[in-house]
Amino acid sequence: MSTVSTPTQIAPTPGYHPSRIDGLREQHGRLAWLLVLTGLVVLAAGCFLSWSYDPEILGNLSISFNPGSLQLFMLTAAVLALVYALAYRGPLRGLGVWIDSAKALMVLGIGALGFMAITLAVVAVTSSGLINIDPGGWVSLVGSLVLAVGGSLLERRPTKDTLHAQLPAWVEIGTIVVLMAMLLFGAAYALGQTDGNIFGLFLVFVVAVAWSLFAAGFFTWLGIVAQRHRRVLMLGAFAVAFLFPFTQNGSDANMSIATQVLIFAATALGLNIVVGLAGLLDLGYIAFLGAGAYTAATLSTSAFATIGWKPPFLVVVLLGAIVAATLGLIIGTPTLRVSGDYLAIVTLAFGEIFRLSMSNLDGNNGPDLTHGPNGIPAIPDLQIGSFNFGDEHTILGFSLGRFANYYFVLLVLALVIITVFSRLNNSRIGRGWVAIREDEKAAEAMGVNVFGLKLFAFASGAFLAGMAGTVKAHQDVSVTPDQYVFLESAFLLAAVVLGGMGTVAGVFIGATILKLLPEKLRFISDYRLLIFGVLLVLMMRVRPEGIIASQRRQLEFHEEDEALAERIEEVHLEEEAQT
Amino acid sequence: MLFLQQLINGLTSGSLYALIAVGYTVVYGIVQLINFAHGEVFMIGAFGSLAVWTIFFQGQTSILILIPMLLGAVAASVGVAVLMERFAYRPLRHAPRLAPLITAIGVSVSLQEIVRLFYPGAKSPLPYPQIDYVSGTALQLGDITLRRSAIFTVGALVVSAVFLWWFINRTKLGRGMQAVSQDPDTARLMGINVDRVIVVAFALGALLAGIAGVAQGLQTNSISQIMGFTAGLKAFTAAVLGGIGNVAGAVVGGLVLGVAESLATQFIPGAFGGTPWKDVWAFVLLIVVLVFRPQGLLGARVVDRA
Repeated sequence: MSTVSTPTQIAPTPGYHPSRIDGLREQHGRLAWLLVLTGLVVLAAGCFLSWSYDPEILGNLSISFNPGSLQLFMLTAAVLALVYALAYRGPLRGLGVWIDSAKALMVLGIGALGFMAITLAVVAVTSSGLINIDPGGWVSLVGSLVLAVGGSLLERRPTKDTLHAQLPAWVEIGTIVVLMAMLLFGAAYALGQTDGNIFGLFLVFVVAVAWSLFAAGFFTWLGIVAQRHRRVLMLGAFAVAFLFPFTQNGSDANMSIATQVLIFAATALGLNIVVGLAGLLDLGYIAFLGAGAYTAATLSTSAFATIGWKPPFLVVVLLGAIVAATLGLIIGTPTLRVSGDYLAIVTLAFGEIFRLSMSNLDGNNGPDLTHGPNGIPAIPDLQIGSFNFGDEHTILGFSLGRFANYYFVLLVLALVIITVFSRLNNSRIGRGWVAIREDEKAAEAMGVNVFGLKLFAFASGAFLAGMAGTVKAHQDVSVTPDQYVFLESAFLLAAVVLGGMGTVAGVFIGATILKLLPEKLRFISDYRLLIFGVLLVLMMRVRPEGIIASQRRQLEFHEEDEALAERIEEVHLEEEAQT
Repeated sequence: MLFLQQLINGLTSGSLYALIAVGYTVVYGIVQLINFAHGEVFMIGAFGSLAVWTIFFQGQTSILILIPMLLGAVAASVGVAVLMERFAYRPLRHAPRLAPLITAIGVSVSLQEIVRLFYPGAKSPLPYPQIDYVSGTALQLGDITLRRSAIFTVGALVVSAVFLWWFINRTKLGRGMQAVSQDPDTARLMGINVDRVIVVAFALGALLAGIAGVAQGLQTNSISQIMGFTAGLKAFTAAVLGGIGNVAGAVVGGLVLGVAESLATQFIPGAFGGTPWKDVWAFVLLIVVLVFRPQGLLGARVVDRA
């Protein structure tokens, strides 16, 4: 990020308030930098020593000069810290102009400290006693502590806006490719962990590194780069997703989780059109997924299917989507005239009506369409031509199981939904939605067809969810009403909110967090919902725009942030200059 | 006769809805927030009264116990509501409307889970104690069956309604509430402590929800952590039906909803009548009202500040 640059103005970091720690920082600036260096060296040195007496705990951490996986994490952190430190003062000064290395070091130090503390705690608890922690563990703990203290004491410097960083295109594309590769291997590694503790610690490590990169301003730059090379990013992400099943050696356990994540993410993306783009809060969205699933189930060749007609699957997908979209229109036409809060409750009531109807239509109360609470079981696997989705297939020596087959179908589906989403977002319709979201009355006065666009958002969201539902019915084998309770709608909404309203990447991250963590962290499974609820509350207080927010959306939640407003203006102007 | 019987059943469940609906309407009238977690406040009230009974009066059935049980219910629900306002909603008072609504969902899920995980034995529905005179064999008046808990519920609503009327129209705080709901900025200029009024609104709603919690326990003889969800949704329907922001409307809306529901169960012919469809008709009513008369039966008292 260092080379040629247009004339830039140096602005103080936003959200920066002088405090007592600044005095300390001024006095001990040089000392702090030395502390950082010492800390990271000690941290790295500790990684080459044994951490635990017992080789059975957390992989094998007991052999000196042969770092185990957890020790490699900390070595990586130390290397990253070294880069920051040298950017702060030393040969990488050119990089240091752009990134807030002081803050990044502080965050990384605190993250490493947390990581070490948890690791040592796990060792002590699982092997009954602090005695089983070997010196290396203590050395690294002290190292991370020193690093954290040093990082906190470093004097903060103003940085240049990375918007003006100009790098050769191949560097930018290269960064994207490397990141994508890391994503693939990180995901494969994380899913390969059967030990909940190692998985959890890996997450701590990832969060610490990501947070420090965020503090350094790396992600802001990445966001700009990603916008510049949108195609490369899309292709890269798709390649990663496509290659993922081949890293699993035919094991279906992780693929089962992955398909669940994909269905969830695809549905959440549809919801993101409604909530994130058009700003309509839908609390009964799961009903549309259910409509698709029930359509597929009743038209399937299951012995319990209630409709005699058995069209091919592609027709079923379309029919499911159309049924869902029609429901969307039926519920939307009368209710979209009411204001936001009312709409939320009406959609919630609609979701309940759907669930109750599905569980009532059992022949005793109304026609027998759904077999009531028992649902429609034994839905056969998909069969397209001679390709049966239930069987294991071998492609190029890689064996792909049942879930891997569905994974590819869902991937295509997700791709369709992403395309629809981003096309809509960047169109006249998308701009209309933004206008409605920000000020409905002003939009109407400007000639935006408010009612039509809202209805369209509602129907298209429902359409996409219906498509996802048809695949879900076959993948889950059975369809029952209790899969479509309100809590599921809340989860979908949480994925959108957590990840970031109005962005594709955010929704995928949100969906992954919400589906993957409970699967892997079995020991928290009973507290899953509680954590979920608390997370929602905290998220709304700390970062209401989500992990990866679209910048415009971010501004809506932080109206007083002048710097952000200027920035969006600038990006906007740049985009206009290009076209 | 059948009609009269269903009318009584409807008034009973309607009274319950009305007691809860007041909480939605009072809070909405003042801060324009759908306190989605209000159903959980009602649920906490029921558990509060059960806790008092289990700790102090285990095995007893005297009617006098009802008083400490009511106090326990009210203390629990008011406490939760005030904490909720302070730590979840107040920081978001000037945030976009989506934020408090999502927070409310989070609070709602958290409260349910806290009860399920930490209240002893709450992982399955808990039996609610039998109290002399208010539970037990139903009274027979000719062909009509009148359950004792129904009398308690309707009575509780009458007393609460009188108290509400007195509080809102005759006390300084109540008039302050009216002022804030009409125009918070002017009210502040007139020296009304708006923060305090908002807390009082939450507490007032919770007070009635706590009483409703006891009534529900007596009616169904068992309580569980999920009882707040449907009840809350129904009560919100009632609040909208009567005109949100309008306290008298909430009471009327609750009664109308209850009666409409039980009449639908009895008199809608064919397969779509019957108890399984009761909730469906209630929610259909909500949608119909919002479409044709969004201001509700008695008219909403909310200034549109969008």
